[in-house]
Amino acid sequence: MIERTEVMRRLTEVFQETFDDPGLELSDSMTAADVDEWDSLQHIVLVLAVEREFRIRLNPAEVGKLENVGRMIDLLQVKAGG
Amino acid sequence: MSGDATTGPAFSVSLSRAKAAAAGGDACAALSILFTALTAESDFVDQSRAARLLKSIDLAPLRLRRLRIALLAASTLEHFAPVLRLWLARMGFDAEVSVNPFDTATQAILDPASPLRAARPDIVWLFSTHRDIPLEAQPGDAVARVAAQVDQAIAARQTLWTTLLEQVGCTVIDNLVDCPADDPFGNLAGSAVWGRRAMLRRYNAELPVVAPAGIVLFDLDQVARTLGRTRWEDARFWYHSRHAFALDASGPVAHAAARLIAGARGLAKKCLVLDLDNTLWGGVIGDDGVAGIALGHGEEGEAYVALHRYVKALKERGIILAVCSKNEHETAASVFREHPDCLLRLEDFAVFTANWGNKADNIRDIAATLNIGLDSLVFVDDNPMERDLVRRHLPEVEVIDLPEACAGYVEAIARSGWFEAASFSAEDSARGRYYAENAQRAAVRNAYVDLPSYLRGLEMQGALGGADPFHLPRIAQLINKSNQFHLTGTRYSEAELKAIATMPECVVRHLRLSDKFGDNGLIASIVLRHQDRAMLVDTWVMSCRVLGRTVEEFIANDIRTMAQQRGCERVLGRYVRSSKNGLVEGLYERLGFTCVSRSGEMTEWAFDIGADVPAWTTWVQPVPTREGLAA
Repeated sequence: MIERTEVMRRLTEVFQETFDDPGLELSDSMTAADVDEWDSLQHIVLVLAVEREFRIRLNPAEVGKLENVGRMIDLLQVKAGG
Repeated sequence: MSGDATTGPAFSVSLSRAKAAAAGGDACAALSILFTALTAESDFVDQSRAARLLKSIDLAPLRLRRLRIALLAASTLEHFAPVLRLWLARMGFDAEVSVNPFDTATQAILDPASPLRAARPDIVWLFSTHRDIPLEAQPGDAVARVAAQVDQAIAARQTLWTTLLEQVGCTVIDNLVDCPADDPFGNLAGSAVWGRRAMLRRYNAELPVVAPAGIVLFDLDQVARTLGRTRWEDARFWYHSRHAFALDASGPVAHAAARLIAGARGLAKKCLVLDLDNTLWGGVIGDDGVAGIALGHGEEGEAYVALHRYVKALKERGIILAVCSKNEHETAASVFREHPDCLLRLEDFAVFTANWGNKADNIRDIAATLNIGLDSLVFVDDNPMERDLVRRHLPEVEVIDLPEACAGYVEAIARSGWFEAASFSAEDSARGRYYAENAQRAAVRNAYVDLPSYLRGLEMQGALGGADPFHLPRIAQLINKSNQFHLTGTRYSEAELKAIATMPECVVRHLRLSDKFGDNGLIASIVLRHQDRAMLVDTWVMSCRVLGRTVEEFIANDIRTMAQQRGCERVLGRYVRSSKNGLVEGLYERLGFTCVSRSGEMTEWAFDIGADVPAWTTWVQPVPTREGLAA
């Protein structure tokens, strides 16, 4: 399985580029409420950017229901790990 | 997803450079970097990042054309709107793209008090897709019932169009709708008259038949088919957020639509400048000779003939052709005279430049000879060095990159979309002839020692008229396409102009010009507004083809006559500066008007018309109008 730290590193880059904020750091407990621009519109851009980075397909609604970034990393570890 | 692993990081680097240029205040460089890295096919993530950067750039210094466009849809276009704005910027527009609330098109259009009606956008785009067209048929239904269903769906569109044209006076875009990839009836959905796909095709085929002037039909289905229906659809995002097409299709849709809008608003390109060796034929004519070049036979030769056919068709629909080649003139010309498989003839080219000078200088000369702006030219050359030279020295000229194999040349020129037109008129097909005749006039001009004897020798005849139904479309087209000889930059749709012509205080005029070399067609449109004792020249546009032939003076005399007939004492003129109309900055001064005010980009001019003031000198003779007669 792909290393959790590796997923975190790549996901951080995706977030930084999507929200155009080079200083953005991720944490497991982070949620949409913690990122200014993370609204339903940007959520879709984020999903597509994550799909591209990890070369996977996601269910946008399922991603929307994830509790926090930590859960997203869990999902990516499973999906991108195979 | 279509984005391959290299687009992301490579694009990020370009995006950072564009960002740095923008931060340094160089909007022009920022856009140039951005559009070198981004293509219409780039995936949505890249499109979206580029659009975000564009939003942060101040476009004012670029003097782009302002455009307000409202999108009305029963699907989600909030992600598409910024991408559309991005590709409109590529085409020269500083656009404001608004998205009307989800599925409110009908009420927004029909309710006189709606915010849409109050906003009066320049363009309303009714973004319909197959899901929005109510076509109800049962398997086995007879053709009459199917036809009635299609007619009903079309009648609903017509109600919306008519209201928009008459009440808002904007340009309206409606879609030829996409067809779904999957259907429970499979092949039958297309082959049975009652099939869903067959009905949608019937609907798409009927729209062009009934669409009046002022309605621009956007072939959304063609974008879907070119992309491939399986890439076009992404059902996940329909159910999740009502996106009617895959987000990765945003670039291709925005690109195609921006090109069409450019065509509709007069920003399409006018002239195709072609290299010769290894561009119009395989090999080097100076080395290989007429018998040795690849043209006509073999796979290469046939691909070049196909290119000739494509270029010739462009010419026949009104694109001016020019040659810019490093060759001996006679050697290059011999191919067009002697080669049996050469479809293009010398007379197809308005300018034929074959010499050893540098191409940037030659292209500048071509634009000057044709009297059109450098930004109206598209340059095609197989040699990357030449393309690079032209890009660096003439950034206004669009340069098309050709692939290695000549079989891909037609596709490269076609997909660029630089010559997209929203409509076609008889004037368009005659344009090539106008420019060829102009070249003859220039030759005659050189034979005369003085200008008046040349102008007299032209035997020019001017036919003045109003906004009759036959001339109205061309009057509107000229107002909307002209950039250089356009004093105020006003744009009126055909519907608006029709309404203006009926107002008692307004006068709409046009001028057709012919001379001994041929008919120049309708070359000037004028809108006058009567204000108390003055006649204001609201709009004055003229084709640059006839510049410097005392046609301006002939028109000025007509404006004066119109003013006198309505009891006016003075004529008022306005000049509103744009990036392209410097040509006419001094027009009113040259005609003897006095400047009465200056504010920002606008100057106002006045001319008192007394009985003792002599008419302007012109070599154009008035002839009776031929109302209702075709050219």
